[in-house]
Amino acid sequence: MFDNLGSALLTGIAQGAMIALVALGYSMVYGILKLINFAHSEVFMMGAFVGLFALQALGGEGSPLLAGVFGTLAAMLFAGLLGTVVEKLAYAPLRARGKEASRIAPLVTALGMSVLLQNLAQLLFSARVQSYPQIIPIGETRIVIVVACFATMIGLWLLVHRTWFGKSMRALSMNVDAARLMGVRTGRVIGLTFMTGSSLAALGAVLYCLDQSPAYPTMGTVIGTRAFVAAVIGGIGSIPGAMLGGLLIGVLGELTKLTPYSKFQDVLVFAALIGVLLWRPSGLLGSTAVEKV
Amino acid sequence: MGSSIVRQGLGAVALVGIAIAAEFGLELLIPDTAFRQLVMLALVNVVVALSLNVINGMAGQFSIGHAGFVGIGAYTAAIVSGHIHEKIGEGAEFGFGASFVVMPPAIAAAALVAGLFGLVVGLPSLRLKGDYLAIVTLGFAEIFRLVIATASPGTEATGLGGLISRLGGQQGYGGPTDTGVAQYAGPFWVVGAVLVGVLLAWRLKFSGWGRALRALREDEIAAAAVGVDPTSYKVTSFVIAAMGGGVAGALLACMRDGNPTVQPEQFNFLYSFDAITMVILGGSGSVSGAVAGGIFVTVTVKLIEQLQRLEAVELFRAAHPDFDLNALRMVVYAAVLIVLMVMRPAGVFGENEIFRAKPRGPAQPPGGGPPADAPAEAAS
Amino acid sequence: MRTKHPNRAEPKAALGETLLAIDDLRVSYGGIQALKGVSLEVKRGEIVAMIGANGAGKTTTLKSIVRLLPLAGGSIRYDGLDLAQLSTEAIVETGVALVPEGRAIFGGLTVRENLELGAFSHKDGATMSETIDDVVQLFPRIGERMKQQAGTLSGGEQQMLAIGRAMMSRPALLLLDEPSLGIAPKLVQQIFVAVEAIAKSGTTILLVEQNTRLALKYAKRAYVLRTGTIAMHGDTRELAENDEIKAAYLGG
Repeated sequence: MFDNLGSALLTGIAQGAMIALVALGYSMVYGILKLINFAHSEVFMMGAFVGLFALQALGGEGSPLLAGVFGTLAAMLFAGLLGTVVEKLAYAPLRARGKEASRIAPLVTALGMSVLLQNLAQLLFSARVQSYPQIIPIGETRIVIVVACFATMIGLWLLVHRTWFGKSMRALSMNVDAARLMGVRTGRVIGLTFMTGSSLAALGAVLYCLDQSPAYPTMGTVIGTRAFVAAVIGGIGSIPGAMLGGLLIGVLGELTKLTPYSKFQDVLVFAALIGVLLWRPSGLLGSTAVEKV
Repeated sequence: MGSSIVRQGLGAVALVGIAIAAEFGLELLIPDTAFRQLVMLALVNVVVALSLNVINGMAGQFSIGHAGFVGIGAYTAAIVSGHIHEKIGEGAEFGFGASFVVMPPAIAAAALVAGLFGLVVGLPSLRLKGDYLAIVTLGFAEIFRLVIATASPGTEATGLGGLISRLGGQQGYGGPTDTGVAQYAGPFWVVGAVLVGVLLAWRLKFSGWGRALRALREDEIAAAAVGVDPTSYKVTSFVIAAMGGGVAGALLACMRDGNPTVQPEQFNFLYSFDAITMVILGGSGSVSGAVAGGIFVTVTVKLIEQLQRLEAVELFRAAHPDFDLNALRMVVYAAVLIVLMVMRPAGVFGENEIFRAKPRGPAQPPGGGPPADAPAEAAS
Repeated sequence: MRTKHPNRAEPKAALGETLLAIDDLRVSYGGIQALKGVSLEVKRGEIVAMIGANGAGKTTTLKSIVRLLPLAGGSIRYDGLDLAQLSTEAIVETGVALVPEGRAIFGGLTVRENLELGAFSHKDGATMSETIDDVVQLFPRIGERMKQQAGTLSGGEQQMLAIGRAMMSRPALLLLDEPSLGIAPKLVQQIFVAVEAIAKSGTTILLVEQNTRLALKYAKRAYVLRTGTIAMHGDTRELAENDEIKAAYLGG
């Protein structure tokens, strides 16, 4: 029983850390633009595919270290570019319209981007599931995932607190006009934020697939939804919140698997979301004023 | 005053007349069953678009799980109509006369149950500013679909799980005896629902209630300051939208010569997205836009299905087994939607109507000028 | 604030020459014409005040100088530059800083981080700590609260931080919007003493202030705005004696 529990906890932390990596992208973008970037889950999916192709091209199981490191980096680079392109193509023109564009327009655009990318992947890569090469021994995947995720999060913390980019991003999320009055170039910071969030999602995607999961075009929907819920539960816009929310969702999800209700994992995830919205709308760590009418 | 009552009475008679004419005339007008099906489906989707338009267009909120409410209505109506059908013992015939015993309770139950779920989903998320409604509706629709799809039929579990497993899981629900849904919704009911739907949407839009919604959409704080309670207006519109979705689901499930089972896959996210496309293409908030959008999207969906069967396309697909025409359609739709949002965020018609509202009663606003037509401000 | 300022964009205009010239400025938003042709001039080294009732267009004028609002017409020239051609970010780099109404500090960041962001347009570690020292000299209370979250400061302290943050860019022209609004009288006094010190150190100031008495006391010249136009302007000492001003803005 305790063996089971311990193992479930470790798996849950690994799962949660990956979800947190994806959740960070939602939270960072929402923080500065107040936009639910529905396309983020598809950037995650695209990252998984590019990671797969890069891993295969670099030798796959034959050269695990080389393939693992550079394949992951390639996926992150590609996703970072994709995220920035999505922003420049779809969201930036709407921002330029200012208040003229209705509140719904950005959401429709984001949703459209998501549908477009998902179906594009279906056309490009086919709807089949494609499994990843086994480059990490099965017994060690969880440890590798946990270490990689936590190292990344420490790196992100430094980026956000110690660099000009991080400071201007946080300033922008608090007051756009004031940030511009400091000389912060909003377009550049927004682009960098998309790039950072998207590459984190790609890292999450590669790690997720290395943990014996295949890549397929609709994979973003399930993980993306969990990640978004994690971001809301932690307090959307809050970076530590996204990390905490991700871990909670991951651990709770794995613990459900020990019960007879394992099939209803995603139902519970949403029950948790509604619960949090009712009880604490700004999320567990959301410090900004509650967005209540 | 008297003449207005007479006029309304005449109007009602005319509507019933059109619906009855449709019931008996549609088959003569369109002898081809497949084509008739397409027309019926398009009309049902018009109801879907009209109902989604209440929340996404008029109220300016963003629901992306409308398929969930349509699905709930479909399952509810399939259950209710099936049981009534068993009781009255009509056999395999779904007579027009008997439909007046079956359809009203089925539609009412579908609207009621969908409305209830709408309340449960809308209340926590619409209390909050921002876009929580979007994600909660998405999640709700997915949960609804997954719960039904993963419940394996045949297992004799008790309680809620057992009840859900009787809905047939992935294979679909075919009525209480699993012999197919009782298909009582002929053209009378479908056409009637569209007529009533258009009329209701029209009256909602040009009533004081519609004006309050517009005020809320433009400036929530200002509207609240003059006594419009944002939450109650938003929740009410969301519940109305959910009920309309439920009615559409009831018609979809019970449609004459339609699919004999109700399947969870019918109500996936892509259906929700199609519904959004119907509303947005025509113009958020426009009743005529929703009607046009509903018909346009349905026709193109069916057109793709027909194209799939063409010999040339089948040959191409034999050579490229992964090619999916529907995925291509979604790519095109999504791209069109994005370009439309960037170029003309208010949709094709904006908030305007094809036919102008006849001024009736005081202070009739002429459809409200869509913001997209305002000249672009100097680029900053 | 007085010695060497290596990073300061020294204006080309000499002391007493025109630094900022606004001509026939027109701004409208939401279909309402907020400014109907405002013209004013600020010479290098001056403190100039804009006074007038709420809604007269004072804040609008300041916001349009830094291009936070789009112009409908007219021109804004600052030290030989046409500001209508520049973005907000670029204007800040030329040495113009605005302390916005309501202070707009970054509440979730520490006081130090707020100040650091003020130096965003001159990112240089060595001069930054020097500039922070200057700001602390100006507002000792800010120095005591460096690690505190800015949102926890009192209103007066937040105003000090907002002014200090603006000074971090070593501006040649400082635009102040209602620095006394909603602040305890004792702190208002301290803030205006600091504003005077800033002016003495060589920064030109355009001040919007609804407290007319204060504005006329500290400024050299003043413009009176009324419904989007300049109603009168002149030397503050003369304006303070003007009967119309006395009746309308000085309470008798």
